[in-house]
Amino acid sequence: MRQTPGEYFGNVGRTVTSFWHGLSVTLSYLLRRPVTTQYPDRTPLPVREMLPPRYRGFLEVDAGVCTGCQACERACPIGCIQINLEKDAANPKQRVVTQFDIDEAKCMFCGLCVEPCPTGAIQHTREFEAASRSVRNLVFRWADPANPFPVYKVDKNAEYYPRAPLGSLMRAKLEARDWAAAAPQFLPPEPPKPPAAKAPPKPAAPAAKPADSAAKPADSAAKPAPAADAVTAKVAEAAAPAPKPAPVPPAAAGAAEPTAPSSKPQA
Amino acid sequence: MEKLILRKVPNASEEMLLNFGPQHPSTHGVINFLVDTDGEVMKKAIPDVGYLHRSIEKIAEQVGYAGFMPYTDRVDYVAAMFANEGWAIAVEKLLKIEVPPRAQYLRAIAGELCRIASHLVSTGTMATDIGATTPLVHALREREALNDLIEALCGARLTYNYHRIGGVAFDLPEGWSDRVLRYLDHFETLLVEWDRLISYNHIYVKRLANVAVIPREMAVDYGLVGPNLRGSGMDWDVRRDVPYGAYPDFKFDVPVGRGFKGVSGDAFDRYYVRVLEMRESAKIVRQALEKIPDGEITAKVPRKIKPEPGEVLSRVESARGEMAYYVVSDGTEKPWRVRIRTGSYLAMGIIEDVSRGLMVADLVALIASLDVVAPEIDR
Amino acid sequence: MNTPASVSPTPYAPKYTPKWLVGLTLAAAIGIPGAILGAILLLTPIVQPATLDAITREWLGQDPATWYWRPWLGAGMLALVAFVLVNFGAIFSGMCVWYERRVAGRMQSRIGPNRQGLGGFLVWIADAVKMLLKEDLVPADADALVFRSAPYFVLLGFALTLVVTPFGQSLIVADLNVGIMYITSITALVVVGVLLSGWASNSKWALFGGMRSAAQVISYEIPAGIAIFVPVLMAGTLSMQGIAAAQGGLPWEWFIFRNPAAFIAFFILFTAQLAESNRTPFDLPEAESELVAGYLSEFSGFRFALLMLAEYGNIWVLSVIGSILFLGGWQIPFVGNEVYANLRGTGVLPSAAWFGLQAVSMAVLVVKAAFLSNVIVWLRWTLPRIRVDQMMALSWKYLVPAAFGCFVVTLLWEIAAVEAPAISTITGYVLTAGALLLLVLFVRQIFRNIAAVQGDKLDLSNW
Repeated sequence: MRQTPGEYFGNVGRTVTSFWHGLSVTLSYLLRRPVTTQYPDRTPLPVREMLPPRYRGFLEVDAGVCTGCQACERACPIGCIQINLEKDAANPKQRVVTQFDIDEAKCMFCGLCVEPCPTGAIQHTREFEAASRSVRNLVFRWADPANPFPVYKVDKNAEYYPRAPLGSLMRAKLEARDWAAAAPQFLPPEPPKPPAAKAPPKPAAPAAKPADSAAKPADSAAKPAPAADAVTAKVAEAAAPAPKPAPVPPAAAGAAEPTAPSSKPQA
Repeated sequence: MEKLILRKVPNASEEMLLNFGPQHPSTHGVINFLVDTDGEVMKKAIPDVGYLHRSIEKIAEQVGYAGFMPYTDRVDYVAAMFANEGWAIAVEKLLKIEVPPRAQYLRAIAGELCRIASHLVSTGTMATDIGATTPLVHALREREALNDLIEALCGARLTYNYHRIGGVAFDLPEGWSDRVLRYLDHFETLLVEWDRLISYNHIYVKRLANVAVIPREMAVDYGLVGPNLRGSGMDWDVRRDVPYGAYPDFKFDVPVGRGFKGVSGDAFDRYYVRVLEMRESAKIVRQALEKIPDGEITAKVPRKIKPEPGEVLSRVESARGEMAYYVVSDGTEKPWRVRIRTGSYLAMGIIEDVSRGLMVADLVALIASLDVVAPEIDR
Repeated sequence: MNTPASVSPTPYAPKYTPKWLVGLTLAAAIGIPGAILGAILLLTPIVQPATLDAITREWLGQDPATWYWRPWLGAGMLALVAFVLVNFGAIFSGMCVWYERRVAGRMQSRIGPNRQGLGGFLVWIADAVKMLLKEDLVPADADALVFRSAPYFVLLGFALTLVVTPFGQSLIVADLNVGIMYITSITALVVVGVLLSGWASNSKWALFGGMRSAAQVISYEIPAGIAIFVPVLMAGTLSMQGIAAAQGGLPWEWFIFRNPAAFIAFFILFTAQLAESNRTPFDLPEAESELVAGYLSEFSGFRFALLMLAEYGNIWVLSVIGSILFLGGWQIPFVGNEVYANLRGTGVLPSAAWFGLQAVSMAVLVVKAAFLSNVIVWLRWTLPRIRVDQMMALSWKYLVPAAFGCFVVTLLWEIAAVEAPAISTITGYVLTAGALLLLVLFVRQIFRNIAAVQGDKLDLSNW
């Protein structure tokens, strides 16, 4: 392409000036303080203290003020909260929460569960340093099935609810646990019976299993289904955490429907 | 698509069929391009999208109106406020509720801050694709400061979930306006330095000026939106021309590419329009913080959102252009169909035609100047 | 503040670098380069044939002309020196990697490597060990023999130049009388290596990189070659030591300031050599954002380490050539050429004072070369990359005519300088003053840059 002498020398001149500007800007950055800090040792405070108060970190539930209304479970779009209520054996008028599991691995930290809570029992803390070796260890259990907590009766005249300081319960939980703990193991599948001996295993049987294991609150939210079969595992996952049929394949959806009402006792 | 992939290249000793992507630092996400080239000059480049499809629109049919808000963040996570806003406006239209003015100002403030953040990423990655890595890190440093501000406002740094049906979720924290104004003072001086470092750099200009020119008629025909359209010389901005929210109260210019260093519609125009837009967004935020009225931050919305059967289209000016939500409701709690039209998806359509005769290095400049992000294309 | 290990899996990192690590880093930072440069200082005079003859005659009592083992002694010493030089290349490229990453970090407002030793200095040793331990992969359809041998061509192209690059006044393994021509021709082996690696990788992206690189290096050989002739004309010899000896130690005695055409020729040479060694803004062959390491993409482990070694080692060669040809090389200010000969003494080995002076000249050369290396690294993090056709246009339309112009002007200048040597000295003073003025303006610009951004200030904490 033809160039006029003006363009030619203009190119040279513009190159020289842009070099001048660019080089001076980058060299000037050598004299400014870098904005990064080494983590975690050279931060002035632990990072969770430096975060703003509205930070949406890991969820924390104060069982002392939880009313068992399940509003958070309904609000969660993913379905990572699983709450089970039962009548107290000793006092039939009192309801107790036997299971309050939050699967933080599924949680997308959107905050939709925090808003409908009437007492502020469930809140986002500023904790984020909760990595663990196995993703199954990220299910936090805020209710102990062996020792269920009674639901809180809201006092209409109260000005505030006696909730524990935000973050203290989560901190206690994180400090007490071992990040490298092994994941809960699932039993291997039953070996298939030889065809001459018996009829092949019925497909209803795996669907029935999550039903009775969902009715009694087990040790893990992702039920330790005895089969590593993908469908039944999905059924177990779907039946346990959420009544939502969306992420479940249609075959299991049909199986989930009859179990869902039985797994959710009347509130 | 199979026919394109499996066909034999006619002049096999001279032409090659290259896969540009899906794992590639310059394709702004997982996008694949099938490039027919004879070495440096391409015959054409065909985009092959779908690697990041997550069925977000289908998920809307399962989670309901209120629950879909966090999913809209993920439609375009670089500029998530606008996606939130689009959804909120669509559902508010369906429910026929009016958003209080303070909430609209808050939406504008959050949106414009997000626009600055998104343009920082866009201009920074464009500089990196052209070869200079330092401007990207500077841009990300500024974006960090913005992220911190938005984190103080709504609690998250990338997927904000700030808007709600009927308003916004949080009000301004204490001292936040001062922090924002101090930051904007710093930012505007930094943009001057940014221009000296990279925008006016002769090598950079030569890489982008007169490259991948999209004339105005072609841009309108292909349906480009946002800075891509404005870079081609078409003066169209949804905030000004189809006003919504609090934008009628603000005075701002809409930068249009008239050939800053080359021809109107080249890659440099599209890039520079974004740099200028950052300045305008800073102006809008200043005006909004000054004029923000007191009041509620959210309207009264029924607990179970069950709009009447109908359909609605809402348009917002996202950082990448006009983002439109088309929502069909059938009277139940979950929408019947949600369709999100994003600027990046439209930009994919034009790549094949513009890429004829370009060099591979120019294809990188073209993709970067169209500011495509993969999540927006595939949703 | 100690984070309990149970809370997060990040390893416990101390608040300040422990003393033993500081000591180890300092020992490595001073010891390793000191050892290698010391080895070069001692070995290169010894390996000269005259010295070896003297050693054979005096210390071993043999007649060097007829002793059977004399050639073996020469070969053995050369092998030792070769080992030392290749190690020097490796150590320089390692330290350059550390420096580059650290400088890149600082220019981008972040800290560079910082965990491996004080200031992250040991990161290059860690990188080297890591690369040695990586899987040695040859792609299935690659041309195995060519793939395996290609990095060695690149390494040869770099390592063979170290034989004629001086390290000090007499610290050169072989002062060929066509020294600079030898360097220009040997670096062409790198092209062969790059092309072979691009082709043998059996990947279209790698092929792109190889083809681009071939075009680039071949086009930029020409302006480089012509620009090299400018100091050759001014010195009257092609030998590296001869060109350095023709200059003086003070800045206005350097060739760059003695001739306005030489000033321009320096920048032409610098640009052309940047292009030959594939450094930004000419790093098209390995353009990260387009080709993701182009011709090197299929190499891993030791082969990759060799290619990286050659690339960073080429920075050294570039810098040394630039310093020797234009910036006065190893010339110490106020020390003329005859001082070295006087100090040498008549023994078999030169005197300790001579070695001391050589060490000073080595230091001067290393400082100048380090400065130029710093500029090369700095350019990488500032400038974007140019496109293939623009690169060709730059070479053929701008650099070649300018280089020819400088060449012709230098011819006439030298004729004039014979008549009136004053013009060279006056130009020396004027151009040095001009360069100093530019330097002052540049420093002022830097401070103004910091002041221009509101909220930034000069802050050297956390350096």
